[in-house]
Formats: sequence, C-alpha cells, structure tokens
Amino acid sequence: MKSLLKTFATASVVALAATATVAQDWTPPGPIKMMVAFRAGGGADTHARLIAEELEKRHGWQIIPEEVAGRGGLNMAIALKDAPADGTVIGMAVSTVFTYVMEASPSAGLSLDDYTPLATTAAFQMGVVADASRGWKTIDDAFSAAQDGEQLSFGVAGPQLADMAYLLGEANGVDFNIVSLRGGRAVLDAITAGDVDMGFVAGIQGKGVAAGDLVNLASAISEPLDQSPDAPLLLDRGLEFPSNGRFIFAAPAGIPDEARQAISDAIIAVVSDPETEAGALVDRAFGGPATASGVELDAFMQDDLVSSRALLEAASQ
Amino acid sequence: MSLSRDQKIGAFFLLFAVLLVFVWVPLDVDSGYTVQVRRQVSVGDAFAPTIAGVFVLIGGLFLLVFGGTRDEPQEPIDFLALRFAGLLFAVYVLSFMMMLFVGPIAVLVSNLLTGMEQEYRLLRDAAPWKYLGFAVGCTFAITSTISLLEGRFSLRAVLIGLCAVLAMIAIYDLPFDDLLLPPNGDV
Amino acid sequence: MGALDYIWMGILAVLQGPEFFSILGVGVSVTIVMVALGFLLGVAVGATPGLGGPIAMAISLPILVSIFGFTPDALLPVMGFLIGIMKGATIGGAVPAILFNTPGTPDAYLTTLDGYPMTENGEARKALRVAHFSSVTGDTFSDVVLIVCAPFLALLVESYLDLPEKAALLILSLSFIAAAVGGSPAKGLISTGLGLLAAYIGTGEDFYPRLTGGSEALQSGLPLVSVILGALIIGSVIYEMTTYWRERGRAERAQRQQKRQGQGLSFALIRKLLPYIGRSAVAGTIIGALPGIGSTLAATIGYALGRARYAKTKHPDDPEFGQGAPEGVASTEAANSSVSGANLIPVLSLGIPGNAAAVFLILAAESIGGFTPGPSVFKFTTDQVNPELVIAFGLFTCMFLANFLNWTVGGVIMRSMGVMTRIPKQILLPCVLMLTLTAIYVQETAMAAVWITLAFGVMGYLMRVFGISPLPFMVAFILGGRLEETLRQAFSATGSDPWFLLNNPIAAAFMGLAALTVIIALRQDRRSSFSERKA
Repeated sequence: MKSLLKTFATASVVALAATATVAQDWTPPGPIKMMVAFRAGGGADTHARLIAEELEKRHGWQIIPEEVAGRGGLNMAIALKDAPADGTVIGMAVSTVFTYVMEASPSAGLSLDDYTPLATTAAFQMGVVADASRGWKTIDDAFSAAQDGEQLSFGVAGPQLADMAYLLGEANGVDFNIVSLRGGRAVLDAITAGDVDMGFVAGIQGKGVAAGDLVNLASAISEPLDQSPDAPLLLDRGLEFPSNGRFIFAAPAGIPDEARQAISDAIIAVVSDPETEAGALVDRAFGGPATASGVELDAFMQDDLVSSRALLEAASQ
Repeated sequence: MSLSRDQKIGAFFLLFAVLLVFVWVPLDVDSGYTVQVRRQVSVGDAFAPTIAGVFVLIGGLFLLVFGGTRDEPQEPIDFLALRFAGLLFAVYVLSFMMMLFVGPIAVLVSNLLTGMEQEYRLLRDAAPWKYLGFAVGCTFAITSTISLLEGRFSLRAVLIGLCAVLAMIAIYDLPFDDLLLPPNGDV
Repeated sequence: MGALDYIWMGILAVLQGPEFFSILGVGVSVTIVMVALGFLLGVAVGATPGLGGPIAMAISLPILVSIFGFTPDALLPVMGFLIGIMKGATIGGAVPAILFNTPGTPDAYLTTLDGYPMTENGEARKALRVAHFSSVTGDTFSDVVLIVCAPFLALLVESYLDLPEKAALLILSLSFIAAAVGGSPAKGLISTGLGLLAAYIGTGEDFYPRLTGGSEALQSGLPLVSVILGALIIGSVIYEMTTYWRERGRAERAQRQQKRQGQGLSFALIRKLLPYIGRSAVAGTIIGALPGIGSTLAATIGYALGRARYAKTKHPDDPEFGQGAPEGVASTEAANSSVSGANLIPVLSLGIPGNAAAVFLILAAESIGGFTPGPSVFKFTTDQVNPELVIAFGLFTCMFLANFLNWTVGGVIMRSMGVMTRIPKQILLPCVLMLTLTAIYVQETAMAAVWITLAFGVMGYLMRVFGISPLPFMVAFILGGRLEETLRQAFSATGSDPWFLLNNPIAAAFMGLAALTVIIALRQDRRSSFSERKA
C-alpha cells in the first residue's frame, strides 16, 4: 500500500513536471505567509514548517509560517478567504475543513468555492482504538459488550468523527456516550487513562499498538490499516462514511494558474522525497505521502463535499 | 445611605453579573445550557459562562451586603495617578498605531519619489522597510514614557529608546527567519 | 536486564552520547552541553519579565528539531535542553519577582509578596539566596520522588480519578483559590468569575464563537500570553510607574541601599527555613503529581502552609508574612519548584501533561519520534532492552545534571541577573513594558493580541487600585477551559447524568470540600469584620 502510494506520487510528480514549464518561471512577488491551522509544535505544525524550510532551500522563496489555530481549522479558513490571491498567502489544514466543517457551520458563510486547493501531502491511519486491557480484539467485541448491557463511551475529536461514531452505533444497535475531546492526542490520552472506552485516533496510536498496550479495533478509512490489516473496516460494519481527511495546502480562490501549479508541484516534490526532513516525517508519522493536486485534487474535494453533505444529513436524522 | 467603596465595587459587579447572565450570555451565545445532538443531551456553550457569572454574582452580593461593615480606613483613590496611568496607556496605544502606519506611508512616499509601484505587504520582510514602523513606534513609546516619568524631555531618553530598538531587533529578528516584529504580521 | 542495568544505561546514554568537544582527551557529550545551555537560557528568560520558560521552549523547539533531526539520538539533547530551560526558568523567575515586583512567571507571583519587601528593606541578595536555596532543594526533592514513584504513583492516582472526579477536583481547586487568596474571599470570587469569563470568550463547541459580539479578533479566544502578561505584568508595571511618578518629587524617596551585613545564608537561617521548605516541597510534589493542577496552586498552598506555621512560631520582632519574611519566599519557591519534577510523573507514566513545560517535552518526543511518554515506557523487559526506558532514565540523568548545575553555579548566575537593579526604574520600566508587548506580538503576530494585552493591562491596573487580587483571575483563566471540557466530557461519558458530580463518593467529597471552603472563608471574613467594628 505504502509503496503503491509512493509510486503514484512519483508518477504524478513526473507527469506534472512535464506540463510545468510555465510554472517553473513563477516566483512569488514577496514573502509567502503560510497560515497553519494547528497549534505550534505538534506533528501537523512541524510537518508544515519543515515543508516551508525545504521550499525556501530549494526555490529561494521566503516563507513565514504563522499559527492560526482554532475551531477545527475554520479560523484559518476565514483568514485565508480574504487574503491576496497572488500566491503570497497560503494555508495548511485538514482537507475536511473545506468540506464537512464548512457545510456543518453555514452561519460562517464559507464554501469550498472560496478557495483553491493546492496539494495534499499525507493521509491518516484513522482507527478505532481501545486499551488492550479491555481484552477486545475487534470492534465486534465492543459491540457485544454493549449488547450485554455495558454503557460504552466513545472519544472523538471534532463533530465529523462524532457523527461517524453516532452512525456506527446506530447501525449496530449500540448507544455510545460520545465524548468530544480537543484533538487526537487528547482522545488517545483519554483512552490510556480509562476516561473513555474507545475512540477515533489518526495514526499516533502506532507505537502503543506495536507495544501491545493499545488495539486497533477497526479501520475507519476505506482500506485496512497498515499496522493492523486484520482489523475490520467500519465500512463493513454498516457505517457508509469513511474518514478520508488529508493534510492539505490551499490558497484563496482566483490565484493565477502558474502560481497554483508552481506551489503545488514544489510541495509535492518535497513530501515525496524521503531524503528531506519533511518527507521523512510523513513517512514515519503518516505512513508515507498521499499527494494530489490540480484536477485530481479538485475531484477529491468535490467527492468529499458530497460525502460530507450526506454524512450531515444522515447524522441529523 | 452612602455606600462604602467595597459596597460600590460589589454593586458594580452584581450589576455586571446580572447583565452577563441575563443579557450578554443569551444574546451572544448560540446554544443553551444544554443541547441535544445526535440524540444525546450534552452541555451547551452557555453553561460555563453562566457559572462564571454566578461566581461574580456571589462575590458582588457579598461585598454589597457586608462590605460596609468594615471600618478600617481605606486609602483614598488617587485620581491624579489614575489619570497618569490613562496617559501611559494612551502612549502605548498610539505607539502601536504608529507602527501600523509608518511603514506603508514610507513606501507610498518612496513610490512618489521613484515612480515605482511597491507595496509594503511584499516588503514586510525586507530591510530597511521591516524595521521602520517598529523603530519609530518603539522609540516614541520609550522616549515619551521616560520623559513623562522624569517630567522633562531629554536626548538621553531618545538614545535609550533607540538602543532598546536595536536590542530587540537583535533578540527577535536577526537570529530567527520566521519571527516577525510588529506590525509585519498584520499586513 | 534488571532495573539497575536500565538506570546505568540511561546515565551512560547522557554521558557517552555523541561528542560535542573534548577537554584533555575526555569527550563532553552534546547532551551535557545542551542541558547547560538550556539552563543558562532558562535563568535568563526566567529573569526577564515578559519572557518565561514556555515561551523560550516554544521558540527553541522547532530550531532544535531542525538542528538535531528526527532520530532517537536527538531525544536526549533536545529534551535535555528543554529540561534545562525548565529548571533555569524556575529559579530565574524569582529574580524579577524579588527585584522588581514583576513576576516573570505566574508561579512567581507569590514570591513578590515577601521577596519584594525584602528588596525594599535592602535585603535583595539575601532574598535571592533564600529563593535559590529553597527552589533547588524543593526541585531536587521532587526529582527524587519522581524517580522513585513514577512507575507506581501516577497509575494509582489515575485509576481512582475518572472524568467526574477530575471535574470535581478542578472545582475544588478554584473554590480554594477564590476563598484563600487575596485576603477577601468575596473579591476572590469576583476575580475567579472574571477569569473564568475571560477563558470562555471566543471558545466553546459551537461554530459561532461565543461572547465575542461577532468580532473577528476574538474568535480564537483570548490569547493566553496576552491575558496573563497583560493582567499581571502590564498592570503592575503601569502601577509601578504611577507610583514612581507620584513619589518623584518627594525628597524622602528612599534610595534602596544594600545592607553590607547579613546578606548571606547562615546555617541558623537555613535551619529556620528548612521546616518551611520541607512542607512546601512535600505539598508541591503531591500537587505536581496530580495531572492538570499546576505550580500556581502549589505555590498558593505552600505559601498558606508557611503563613500558618509562621503565625505560630515567629519571633515578635520578625517581619510579618507579606512584609519581607524570608520564610515567605522559601515557602513559595520550594513549593513551585517542587512541582516541576513531580509534574513529569503523569507525563512519563501516562503521557498526560500537567503544565506547559511538560507539554513541550511531550511535543518534543512526538515530533522527534522513538519515545512515546505513556505506560509502555516503564516496562522493565528483561529479555531485550526497552529503549524507551533507557531514554526515561536518560531524562532523569539530565534532570540531575541540571540540578547539579543549579546547586553549583545556579545561585551565582541567578544573582548576576541582579545587575538589573542598578538600572534606574524610570528607564527600566518603559523598556520592560515594550519588551513584553513586543514578545507578545512576536508570539502571536497580530496587533489584536497587543490591544488585548493593553486592555487586560488596564484591568490589572484597576484591580490593583481597588484591592482585588489578580491571582484567582489568572488561575481561573488557565483552568477555565479545562474545567468546561472536563464537565462536558464527564456529562457525556456518564450518559448525560445531571448528578454526575455528586453520585460517586470521591467527586461528592471534592464538591463538599469546595462548598465548605467557600462558606467557611466567607463566614470568617464576616466575623472578623464584625469584631473589628466592635473593637
């Protein structure tokens, strides 16, 4: 799977490089402000900063990262929307900010059309995780525990995962107590501390699972998890919506085509190169690059928008 | 009946708490004390601010009711000092306003002189432009404050202001690529 | 592979790491150098009002990670540097508190209460010596407890405290602080309420940022540094400035003369201080081991314990607490310093940070990889080496290395920061104010943060004028977000049970204590004011 992704990534870089003659000539008219929708110091933020450093090294652009965290990425999106669309302001967030989060908060008055997606860099190994001491092997053990009358709590970070947990419970006749926590790290902490019985965690469970302290009960993405290939897919347990968020770089709508292509190509080239620090981080923490740009990325975002609307619709019934 | 100072403080915060709980929170918070999402009742956004209001309310009420029983002499409020403090705050507000405008105005003037079409936003990380606003605002603030405190204007105050500017540039700007001095993060 | 083997390997990992330079053929490992550099930086930033350990860590972490890369070899140098900052800032924070009445860190606020009066009495160097001695004693004690207890204690604490108990414990801490700090419990309650309110502006679960009136600048909530530095530092600097200005004309304005005699730490004084340091160190260590309750509460409790003992045992000629008693400085410093070691108990054994410094250690571990703070760290595997356990003992070694520096040269470095007393106040204060505002801007890169800081500066100034302590405000502001989250989570996790705070024994006991603390404090306040009136 990993090598497949890499091949794909390399292929897309080669393909883009062939058509990128105009883009190569593009240079930003000034320093680039990179707004990062995550708290400084975390894996996501480090990933953005390392990409910025490598871009500076390779292209001589000047990039100034800035933390604009809060409200699931919406704060960054609001700041990005009205920024100058000349390639000097870009933002980094989870792709679902532009789909699910914006659809779920119509009062914010934002939509995917206000932005130009540039490139995705990495996907998440989102699993349903429980502490090994529970003795559960798969999600089915949790379901039977619930059916035996145990009240189970389910930790989630953000309303989209809460919707998914709710629908998962509904499809399997379980009424989870859904506990909303601030970020994946907090969910993992709550699982370890026994505050919640299980929760959605997107990759940082790796070491705990390897050590045998945690168990991936199920995969919440559309394929098996790299680390626990035997864990069942939630898609096979009645939940129609996979978690398919990725790290994404975006610009305001109306950015010139050559700027879009130049920045996208540059970012993808950096994360696809395991020799760079950014590439090494993506390999280690996020199971390898998951890149997309241009038309392919537009299609990915449109699909996610449709799926997000359906998820909201289903969860509000 | 005249109220003691503590009673007045109590009355003020009592009123504040009542306004907070019955006006501000209902008008400026989207959800109620509890909300029903996904068939589960959970705590809404109005709950915690109301708790905050209750703390203020109890404290204010207690001060109002019992705050007058203290006979201990209270130091009178020094209104001259209050006004001086207001002046100091005004200096700092003004100095940061200057930081916002000096750079762009300098670019405008330079454009008029040279006929170029430069934009401060794109020059915000290029010397000397990036230092202009900070240097002017910072020197102004430090010079004025020293002068106010000493009751006279002196060249020494200006020099100290300039030295402080250089020191802060040396701490925050020179060693780090990604740190921005005021006002360069806002443009 | 026994426990002793692991300890030895951890020590060797620090001492024999990649060589940085060698003296007379003896290699000095890069980790040792990084601990020392971090310690120096820590003292300097701790002593600089407006800076502080967390800010220094936040800025240096990305730089360190870029320098050392993402290999397990990077863990000890980077985390050693952060530990150095943490320890250095703890003693450094007392310097501005004692010399300028401007606490560099929230914990140092209580140090100002006796430290600054000592400076005014011409005993600045003595105050700094007391602070250093108490701080380093408390810190070392706490580290020993950490190493002995980490595998056991935190697991025990955590297994008894579930979400409802944690929420109740937070309420108990807030009630205690409101009632106990700042003389008047009614004003303490007001201060606490305002702090909670500030924590709730612009935060919350809804997509509409509550209580912001639609303002974009407030939508991500009030920046932590703006509110805390505004209310504490800006407010007090402006207050100092007005005081200076009012007294400028008066001839009797005392030039602070350093007394020639009695600035050292005599054994008699150390003997007198030790009971205070001991109590505070124990209290601070216990509080530090509870996740999420920081050194501010420890300092508060340490100070309260010290004051209670002092009232009973003090000599009639000795200064009161709050008027320059060395015991006050010792109680506070020992308590807040002894939090830092114990705070790593839940971090290392459960991965749950208890304070900002711990957060940065976790972030460092996470961005570098190869070390996940959590239960898996303390697995004493015998058949094969558990590399994380080696790192854990390596970290302990770094802590003792930093302690060694602290005992030997820490005092000298710390007192050398006292050179700042020579700078005239009317020059120093404006520069401190500007440095603080610039530091906040550099952190937040938004003018809005500066305006918010100035606004809270006005509030902090007025609170001082009207005799309302800003400490409960600050603690409530820091704990507010966590309190609301824990309440929400506990409510959800118990299946929306409205009585979740009362229907399990531990939570109910905490809640009962909380109510009792406030009621007793209010009644006592009333009684004392009645008796004053009769007298």
